Amino acid sequence: MPKKDVDLKLVAENVGHSSRASCGSCHFNGGGGDAVKHADMSRQLLEPNRNCDVHMGGYDFTCTECHTTRNHKIAGRSSSVPVAEGEVTCQQCHSDEPHYCGSLLDHHLNKHAKTLDCNVCHAPVYGKCKPTKTWWDWSKAGDKKRKPKKDKYGKPDYNKKKGEFKWEESAVPNYAWSSGYMNRIFIGDKVNINADTINLTEPVGSINDPGSKITPFKMMGGIQAVDADHDYFLVPHLWPRNKEDSTAYWKHFDWEKAFQDGMDAVGLDYSGSYKWKETWMYWRLDHEVMPKEMSLSCVQCHESLKGDKTCNRCHQDNRNVDFKNIAHKGTDFSYMKSQGRDVEHLINKTDYINFKKLGYKGDPVIHGGRFTKLPMGYEKHE
Amino acid sequence: MIKKIIFFAGLVILTTALCGAEVWKAPDQEKAKERAKQVVPFIKEYNDVSQIHRRISLMDAGISLKDVTEAYFLLDSPIIKKREDHYEPVRFSHKRHANLTNDCSKCHHFRPKDENELETTRCSACHQDSFNPDHPERIGLKAAYHQQCMECHQQKAKGPTDCKGCHLQNVPDHKELVKLPDNADVFQVTAECLRCHDTQAEDMLTTAHWLWKGPSPYTTGHRKDIMHGKGTTALNNY
Repeated sequence: MPKKDVDLKLVAENVGHSSRASCGSCHFNGGGGDAVKHADMSRQLLEPNRNCDVHMGGYDFTCTECHTTRNHKIAGRSSSVPVAEGEVTCQQCHSDEPHYCGSLLDHHLNKHAKTLDCNVCHAPVYGKCKPTKTWWDWSKAGDKKRKPKKDKYGKPDYNKKKGEFKWEESAVPNYAWSSGYMNRIFIGDKVNINADTINLTEPVGSINDPGSKITPFKMMGGIQAVDADHDYFLVPHLWPRNKEDSTAYWKHFDWEKAFQDGMDAVGLDYSGSYKWKETWMYWRLDHEVMPKEMSLSCVQCHESLKGDKTCNRCHQDNRNVDFKNIAHKGTDFSYMKSQGRDVEHLINKTDYINFKKLGYKGDPVIHGGRFTKLPMGYEKHE
Repeated sequence: MIKKIIFFAGLVILTTALCGAEVWKAPDQEKAKERAKQVVPFIKEYNDVSQIHRRISLMDAGISLKDVTEAYFLLDSPIIKKREDHYEPVRFSHKRHANLTNDCSKCHHFRPKDENELETTRCSACHQDSFNPDHPERIGLKAAYHQQCMECHQQKAKGPTDCKGCHLQNVPDHKELVKLPDNADVFQVTAECLRCHDTQAEDMLTTAHWLWKGPSPYTTGHRKDIMHGKGTTALNNY
C-alpha cells in the first residue's frame, strides 16, 4: 500500500510515460542500495554525464526505448535472474556491422564485432561513476563490536546486519566467452558443497563456438550458507514480518532460527547443520556505454602493435593512414583520472582483456585468431 | 513547531535548488532539439532530374559518407506540430542511414535550382505545408517523411513500418479524464484506472514484473520452464 500522505488523485492525474526515474526507483537500488548490485546502473543515470553513458547522458534515452514493451512485457535478458520476456541487444539498433564510416579501421572493427561483445571496447570499466559492491561475506554478520571502516571510496566495509563488503569503482571487468545462455543454480538444486567455490550463475560459451563472444562481467562474490546435509543453498529469513517476529536475522541475529524459517517459507527441509561457502555470480555489463572516443584502441589489447608506426605488418606501407591516431588513441584513462576516477593503474595498460586467460596462445596479432590461424607478419618484426 | 522548522528548511532547500542548480541536459539531444526547431526558407524551384541522374551526379561530385556533417536528427518540425501534435520527436540516425543506403540520392532526390543553395538540403526545405496552392504537386513534410521512411523500410524489409515503431505517442492530459474525489483511497484510484485500462490491467497480471517469475529461455536445463524468478527459485549472494 502507498504511504498515507501520497495524494493519489494527483498521481493519477499526472500519469505519463515510464522514465529512467520510474524504472530506476527499483532497478538502481538492487541489492539494498544505490549501485550495490548492478555495476552499470545507479542513480547517476538519472542525470548522467555523457562520458558515463552516451545513450542516456548524450541522447537522453529512456529505458523503454531499448527495453521495448508489448502488452506490458518488457524485453530484456538478464544474467542475474532467469526471467526474460524478449531480448535487447546492441545489434538491434547498431546492426552486426556497427562501425560504418567506411574506413579501413571500421573494416577491422566489424571483424572484431564477430568475436567481441560491444561493451568489451565501449565500456572498458564498470562502476565508472559510482562504486559498486563486489564482495559480500554474510558469515561475518552479527558482530556487535565491529565498527564499520570506510574504504578509499568512502564506502563502509561492514554492516552488522549484512556482513563484510568490498566495493570497486571504475574496475576492469572479468572477460569470459558467452553465448548469451547461462548456467544457474536455483533454490533446492543440489550442489557440491565441498568445492572451493560455487558459481551461482555463469555464462555458457567457448572460444571454439562462433556464436560465443568475449563478454564483460562484473563478478559478485560472497560467502553464504549451504545446508551441510542436504547439499543445497539456504535461504535466511531476514526482514522481521512484524513486531512479534521471533526468527528474523535482522532482529535476533540467530542464523539457526533464520534458516529454519527461511527454508520453511520456500518449502524445503533444513537439516539443522549449515556451513559457509564462497560463491560467485557473473553479472553481464550492458549499460554505461561510453562515447566512441573513449573506447579501447588497438594497442590497449594488442601489445604487439605498441611499437608499430604504420600498418605495414599486414598492408603495403604506402597508405595515407594515420596509424598512430587509429591504433594508439583510445580510452583516455589519464583524463578519467583527472575527473576523479580510480584508474591510474590502467594508464598505459596493454593486454587489457588477457588473451591467454580467454584461451588464446597470446596476442592474436602474433598467434592468430580463434578461426584465422594467420600470424600477422611477426617474423619480419623479430 | 517541528512542522514549522521542517517547512522553512524545505523552503530554503527549494530556493537553493531553483536558483543555484543547473538544469541537466543531454548535449547531443539538446543540439538535435535546437536543430529540429528550425524552419528554413521554402525552396520553390528545383532541378527536376531523374533519380539515376541525381545519383550519378552526386557520386561524380565525390559526395560520400565523409560529407555527412550531422549524424543525428530529431524529427520534430514546427511545420507539422502547428497542425497536429500527437507524438514525441522521432530519432533519426542520419549517418547510419546514409551508410545503409549508400546512395544520397535516395532521400536528397533533387537539388535546388539556385546554384547558391547547398547541393543537399534538409527535407523541410522543399516539403513544408501539407498543401501549398502555389505548388500543388509538392507533398507536405509529414507525407514526405512517411512516404520516404515507410516505403524504404517496406522495400528493404528492415526498420519499422508501424506508427509506434518510430513514434512515442503523447500521453493525453489525464487531468480532465480522471474523475476522482479528493483524498481518494487506493481502491478508488485503481478502479478509476481500470475504467479505461482493463486490457492493460489483464496484461499486467501475466508479466514477470507482477508475478516475479516467468519464462527462462536462456537458462540451460530450464529453457521451457515458466516458473523461475525471484518470487520462486532464483538464488543470489547479496
